[in-house]
Amino acid sequence: MQILRETKLESLKKAKEIGRESALQILEKKGLVGRGGAAFPTAKKWRMALNVKSKTRYLICNADEGEPGTFKDRFILKNNPETFIEGILVAAFILDVKKCFIYLRGEYNFLRKDLEEKISELLKKSKMKIKIDIVRGSGAYICGEETAIIQSIMGFRGNAMQKPPYPTIKGLWGKPTVINNVETLTCVAQALFYNDWNPNIRLFSISGDVEHPGLYEWELGVKISTILDTVKPENGKVKAMSFGCFGGIMPVKKTEAISSESICKNNCHHGAFTIIFIGEDKNILDMCLSISKFYTYESCGKCTPCREGTIRILNLLKKIRDKRAIKEDLNFLKDLANHIQETSLCGLGQSCGNHVLTAMNFFREDFEKFLK
Amino acid sequence: MGEDDKIVLNILNEIQDKHGYISENLLKQTSEQLNIPIARLWGVVNFHTMLRTKKQGKYIIELCGSPSCVLSESREIENFLKKELNIDIGETTTDGLFSVYKTSCIGCCNEAPAMLLNNEPYTNLTTDIVKKIIEEKRNANSKRN
Repeated sequence: MQILRETKLESLKKAKEIGRESALQILEKKGLVGRGGAAFPTAKKWRMALNVKSKTRYLICNADEGEPGTFKDRFILKNNPETFIEGILVAAFILDVKKCFIYLRGEYNFLRKDLEEKISELLKKSKMKIKIDIVRGSGAYICGEETAIIQSIMGFRGNAMQKPPYPTIKGLWGKPTVINNVETLTCVAQALFYNDWNPNIRLFSISGDVEHPGLYEWELGVKISTILDTVKPENGKVKAMSFGCFGGIMPVKKTEAISSESICKNNCHHGAFTIIFIGEDKNILDMCLSISKFYTYESCGKCTPCREGTIRILNLLKKIRDKRAIKEDLNFLKDLANHIQETSLCGLGQSCGNHVLTAMNFFREDFEKFLK
Repeated sequence: MGEDDKIVLNILNEIQDKHGYISENLLKQTSEQLNIPIARLWGVVNFHTMLRTKKQGKYIIELCGSPSCVLSESREIENFLKKELNIDIGETTTDGLFSVYKTSCIGCCNEAPAMLLNNEPYTNLTTDIVKKIIEEKRNANSKRN
């Protein structure tokens, strides 16, 4: 796997030899984009922070991987931590950062000790005079959002904040702050060192009703049929795929490719390439209930549309399940989901109705059969 | 010590590691030591589901409730746990051994259904496996007593 290639501090050595500007140009040329799901060009983000005149800059590594169905960062932290930490060192060198934070989700606390050991080992070997502190996330999904992660590290509730200002301009303690996720920083080390590093190879977290769930690498544009040939649907057939909780639910169209264009066409988002396959025998309403419970539980409560709306969506879905709903309720559910998405403050609220909207579009019969 | 060395979440987690949970008294002491209003600290503690303000069982079980686990019949595990331990989600057994919670996702979706027991992942669960785990913990403690 490309993600398992080690760089043995050669990437840092190269960055120091060629200098900040050349290293940034290589990352630009290689087309490295953020792997947390938003695909923002990494070097562009770094330049934004570098353009702010400041004696202090911070780097946050977002290891708060919480999107249900996603486990790629856990795989990297466990299987290639050295290259990941080297990515932090390279970023710290290029960004002239003296202090970095790894925001490690509480559910991955079992990886913390090993990670701390590897960090001190690599800091010693590299002779970098920087500090890398692990911040112990404590079970709040919203803290993976970039303004919430900043609040959380500064000792406040992890509430999302209004943007702008963007963290690259005004982040931790008012200083320019770059936030990259685990996979992105690992790719930084690899892209800089390996000439044959391929930006189109992506990690896919596959789970659900398949015989071989797991982490796979495929190129962007891989056909859904290729994925299914590998992971094998349980009982021979799957009817739907859910892109985590936030990315929507669409039917399994075997000839379709996994690319931004083809997935967006279905009003879905592939995000960080998390695919949960749903078996032929499962009810989509049940899946929507499970996802809505997640949003109700994880809304930070700051903005009204998300705080109240996620509960209303869940209650409407329960009403449908309990055969108490009428056709108008389905229309209301659609309007409500759209309204919440349009008026919420951050990405969580803006995506909390995607599963309902896409599922009602593609699998309306799974809802209608429960109407009274 | 600069402002970026005082990470409140880490301090709170260390208190919890040591005492099992964060009591009101401990929170008051921390508030004075850090010079942070207790209301703000309380806000941080009750925002995070993994920070607890009440005495917990010796073994904290956090069952994954992600769609991947639900598709892999985690509800059966949930029902089994509730019945076997005779408690509901969020409660602690009367013998003080087990507390059970549900989490959004623990990132073990390829090995669903899964749970954390005192932060260690247990995966590919069946009711038989969970029964064995519970019995092991019960036996280990009855021997000691």
